[in-house]
Amino acid sequence: MKLFDPHIHMTSRTTDDYAAMAAAGVAAVVEPAFWVGQPRTHVGTFEDYFLSLLGWERFRAGQFGIRHFCTLAMNPREANDPALVDDVLALLPGYLEKDGVVAVGEIGYDDMTPAEDRCFAAQLELARAHGLPALIHLPHRDKKRGCERTLALVRDVGFAPELTIVDHNTEETLPLTLDSGCWAGHSIYPHTKMDEPRMVELVKRYGAERILVNSAADWGVSDPLKVPKTRDAMRAAGIADATLATIFWRNPIAFFAQSGRLDPAELETRPAVDQRQLHEGNSVLRGQTPRVDGTDDAGPANSNVRA
Amino acid sequence: MTDELVAAIEAGDARTWLAEQVATAGDPARFAMAFAAAGRRLGRGAIGEAAAAAITAAGLRWPVTGADECGRAALVLAAVAALPPAGDRQVSFVRDLVRRGEVRERQAVLRALAALPAPARFVDLAVDACRSNVETVFAAIACDNDFPARHFPPPAFHQMVIKALFIGAPLARIAGLAERTTDELRRMVDAYVSERAAAGRAIPDDVALIRRPP
Repeated sequence: MKLFDPHIHMTSRTTDDYAAMAAAGVAAVVEPAFWVGQPRTHVGTFEDYFLSLLGWERFRAGQFGIRHFCTLAMNPREANDPALVDDVLALLPGYLEKDGVVAVGEIGYDDMTPAEDRCFAAQLELARAHGLPALIHLPHRDKKRGCERTLALVRDVGFAPELTIVDHNTEETLPLTLDSGCWAGHSIYPHTKMDEPRMVELVKRYGAERILVNSAADWGVSDPLKVPKTRDAMRAAGIADATLATIFWRNPIAFFAQSGRLDPAELETRPAVDQRQLHEGNSVLRGQTPRVDGTDDAGPANSNVRA
Repeated sequence: MTDELVAAIEAGDARTWLAEQVATAGDPARFAMAFAAAGRRLGRGAIGEAAAAAITAAGLRWPVTGADECGRAALVLAAVAALPPAGDRQVSFVRDLVRRGEVRERQAVLRALAALPAPARFVDLAVDACRSNVETVFAAIACDNDFPARHFPPPAFHQMVIKALFIGAPLARIAGLAERTTDELRRMVDAYVSERAAAGRAIPDDVALIRRPP
């Protein structure tokens, strides 16, 4: 069974993580633009971050046979920096048209300030203008109120719920999200947000329709294998493989394919990894033997190298 | 040149779309949309060998690439031609495309550089592109591209060749390699071979393309 992690910050992860994810069946990821752990103070830092998601990170993922897509946005936390917001919002249209961008996100609320209202609404309008879905982050504090306010804003702006995924749901927010017609993401975390046994119970109660599960792994204590681990927990609890395939593969594809930038047929084939190949590159290597799929010949250091 | 690049796209809706976009590439907003959308509109599948040969025969050395790269190259040539040649508008336009491009966008611009007017103006950004660790971006300037041999100063050309050896980009595909090989490049390759041998590592066959026959 192929797995899709629809929310993971791979920029913060190592090549060991990529290798372990690929070995566990993760074939595609979506990396949302978010906060990098400390405040950015220049618009140029955002631009370089967007470019790294579109370039280097996509390349790095490909080296491990994982397809990488991204979502771009001004995140809610930094939406409170008035010196930055307008510059980043002005930067976004040039980037939202690019290949590999499958949504506007993460947007939403952190402290639920008026500045966040404005940035959130402006970016839903950007998503509409560029024909993209929106990936919405629920706040961690006062989450249920934050979910209500999020859904109200989506409704007020008139943004289509079927183009909206509300992420980081809990037992209290999931019914609200599903009733609104939006898709519902769940971030499985070692200590906070949602865990595997609770997620099993949610699927038993609410089914698989519009339900997504992600690791949201980033630079903090988090686990990039939470998607396969949660799939395993559901399987052990007797949830049918067809349901698992819906949650862990078909749903994320159906949601992000609405961007027109993700081809479901292409996703069914895993890119062959040949770290010797010119068109796959080998620059994540540091003198190791490159990995080549479909052969047990470990191969020389480069395609044109002979011992 | 844009005609051959457009003709490389299989006849049909995609080619019709590209021809329309090339005709209006002087409009910055339309260009930006078309340039970004070219991958979706034209696909990334390889063009035919005959089409690549026709582009090369028309004066722009061109390997078998994705259709999106052909289309983007045509758009860039048309957009630059619509900008005033005096001043630095053409250079800053191309520099921004490379700087703000995702991987395949950058590749297309780098492949088109040799066909731009007064191409020597773009040497700085071309040299900078060789610093990329994304191998396909490096290959777009280093391999099957006349620009480095025509415009790189010797130190930049030498560095590019050594990097190609390092990462395994085939030296046979570096245009003008024989003409641009100098004693200094031979010395650098000898030093590379010596370093690899001392480390007990394999020596790439391609060094034979630089070293004097024994």
